[in-house]
Amino acid sequence: MANSITIENLNAGYGAVRVLNGVSMRIGSGETVALLGTNGNGKSTIIKCIMGAVTPTAGRVTIEIDGHQYDPSAMKTKDIVNLGVVLVPEGRRLFPKLTVEENLLLGAYRRTARRTITRSLEYCYATFPRLRERRRQLSGSMSGGEQQMLALARGLMTAPKILIVDEPSVGLAPIMVREVIRKIGELKKEQQLTVLMAEQNFNQATKICERGYFIVHGQIAFVGNSHEELSNNELVRKIYLGAPVKN
Amino acid sequence: MVTFNLLINAVVTGILLGGFYAAVTIGVTIAFGMLDIVNIAHPVFIIMGSFVAYIVNRHFGFDPILTVIVAAPLFFLLGIAIFRFYYAAFESSGKGSLRGLAFFFGIMFVIEVTLLLAFGVDYRLVQTSYIGPNIGFAHIDLPLRMVVPFVGSMALVSGLYIFFGHTFIGRAIMAVAQDEFALSLMAVDTVAVKQLAFGVAIATAGIAGGFLIVIQPVDPSLGREYIGRVFAICVLGGLGSITGTVIAALILGVVETITSTIFGPSWAPAVSFAALLLTLAIRPSGIMGR
Repeated sequence: MANSITIENLNAGYGAVRVLNGVSMRIGSGETVALLGTNGNGKSTIIKCIMGAVTPTAGRVTIEIDGHQYDPSAMKTKDIVNLGVVLVPEGRRLFPKLTVEENLLLGAYRRTARRTITRSLEYCYATFPRLRERRRQLSGSMSGGEQQMLALARGLMTAPKILIVDEPSVGLAPIMVREVIRKIGELKKEQQLTVLMAEQNFNQATKICERGYFIVHGQIAFVGNSHEELSNNELVRKIYLGAPVKN
Repeated sequence: MVTFNLLINAVVTGILLGGFYAAVTIGVTIAFGMLDIVNIAHPVFIIMGSFVAYIVNRHFGFDPILTVIVAAPLFFLLGIAIFRFYYAAFESSGKGSLRGLAFFFGIMFVIEVTLLLAFGVDYRLVQTSYIGPNIGFAHIDLPLRMVVPFVGSMALVSGLYIFFGHTFIGRAIMAVAQDEFALSLMAVDTVAVKQLAFGVAIATAGIAGGFLIVIQPVDPSLGREYIGRVFAICVLGGLGSITGTVIAALILGVVETITSTIFGPSWAPAVSFAALLLTLAIRPSGIMGR
C-alpha cells in the first residue's frame, strides 16, 4: 500500500520570522529522500510541519497512509505517530534516566506496535547487538553513536510505515556517521519503509537516497536524482561542499 | 539506661514506622520525583484521608483502612481536578515551578483551615479491633496498630512498583518529565499521562491517611509535621525511585525511633532534616538516584 508525503508550496515560520518560502517536495512510497542543507535553512521546520508541531501559514502537507490521506496541520503529534509516521528527532531525545530496554518498550506504546512488541524487540536487538549487551544500562550513560542507534531502534519499535530521521549524524565520529547512515539504508530495505532524512553530511546521505532536495534560505534550490547529479551541481558545490566554482 | 532489648524493639518499631512512611511519601515520589510538581500540600491530603476514615468510622463503624481503599477513587478524581487547574493555570504557560509552589501552599492552607473550622483543634481517633492488642514473640512486642498499616503500605508500594515498572503507562509516567516532546513522538498523550499520575499520587495520600489515623490520633494541623519528613525521604531515596523511597523510609523510621528511644521523642523530627542535609552533602542524587 502507498505511504507517501506530498508538500505543496509550504510557508511556515515562528512568529514574525518566516522560515519556509514556497517549499514543494514529494517523498514517494518506498523512496528514501534526503533533505540537504546547512544549519538554519529550514530542514527541521519542514519536519515539524509534517509532525504537526508547526502549523503552516500557507500551502499544505498531505500524508498518505495505505491509500488514506491526512492533513497533519489539523492533527496532534501523537495522532500522526499513530498513523505510522515516526520521527527520530534531532539530538536523539532519549529518556536518559530510563534503561535501554525501557526506552525501546516505550517506543512500542501505540496499540498497533504493542501487538508485535516481542518480534520488534528481537529485531532491534538483532540489528543493533550493542543494545542487547546494554539493555539494563541507563541510556544517558552510553556513547553518542550508541545513543543514535537506540534512537533509531526506538523509532522502529513504533512499527512505522514512514520513517523521518532528523540529523542522525550530528555529534558523531566520522566512522559512526557512515555506520548510522548505512543502517538507515538497510532498515529501509528490510522493513519496506518510506524514508525522509534531513542531513548535513552530504556524502553519506546521498549514498543511500534516491533523491535529494537541497534547501537554501527556506526554498528548494536544487533537486538531484543521484549522488552524481547533486555533487556536480554548481550551487551545491559552492554553498555546501565549499569547492571553488569553476569559471 | 538503653538495654539491648529496648534497642531491638526500637529497630522493629522503626521498620514498621518506616514502612508507613513509604506509603506517606510515595505520592510525593510520583508528583515531585517523576512529574516535577512540587506538591507541598501532599501531607494535608493525607490528613483529609484520615478525616474521611474518621467520619465513616464514627458514624457507621466501618474499618478505617477499608474505608480509604474504597474512597481512593474519589481522591484520584480530586487529584485529576487539581491537576487540570494547575496545568491550565501554570504549567501550560511554562510558569509551573514557583507559582505552582505558591498554588499548592495555598491549597494546603485552604484544606487545613476548612478541616479546622469543621472539626476544631481536637485530636480524633478511630475504633477498630486491631488498635489495642500487641502480638509478641521472644522479647519483641509488635503493636497491631503499627503492623496493619505496615502490611497495607507494603502492598500499596508493591502494587505501584509493578505498575511503574511493567506497564506501558507506568513507563510513560517515568519518562514524561525527562522529555515530553520525545514522549509525544511515541504516540503518548503526555498531558493525560501526567494527569493520571497526579491522580494516582493523591489517591495514595488518601490511603496513607487511613493508615495514619490507625497509628496515631489526628488533628487538622498534623500534616505540617510530615512536610519535612516526606520531602527528606523523597530526596534521600533518589527523586522518582520507588525502591529508593522504600529504603529511605525504612532508614528514616529506624533512625527516628532509635533517636527518640535514646534522646527522647522531641529529637525525632530533627532526624529527617539531618538526613536531608547529609544526603545533599554526600550523595545529592540519593540512594537510588539515577
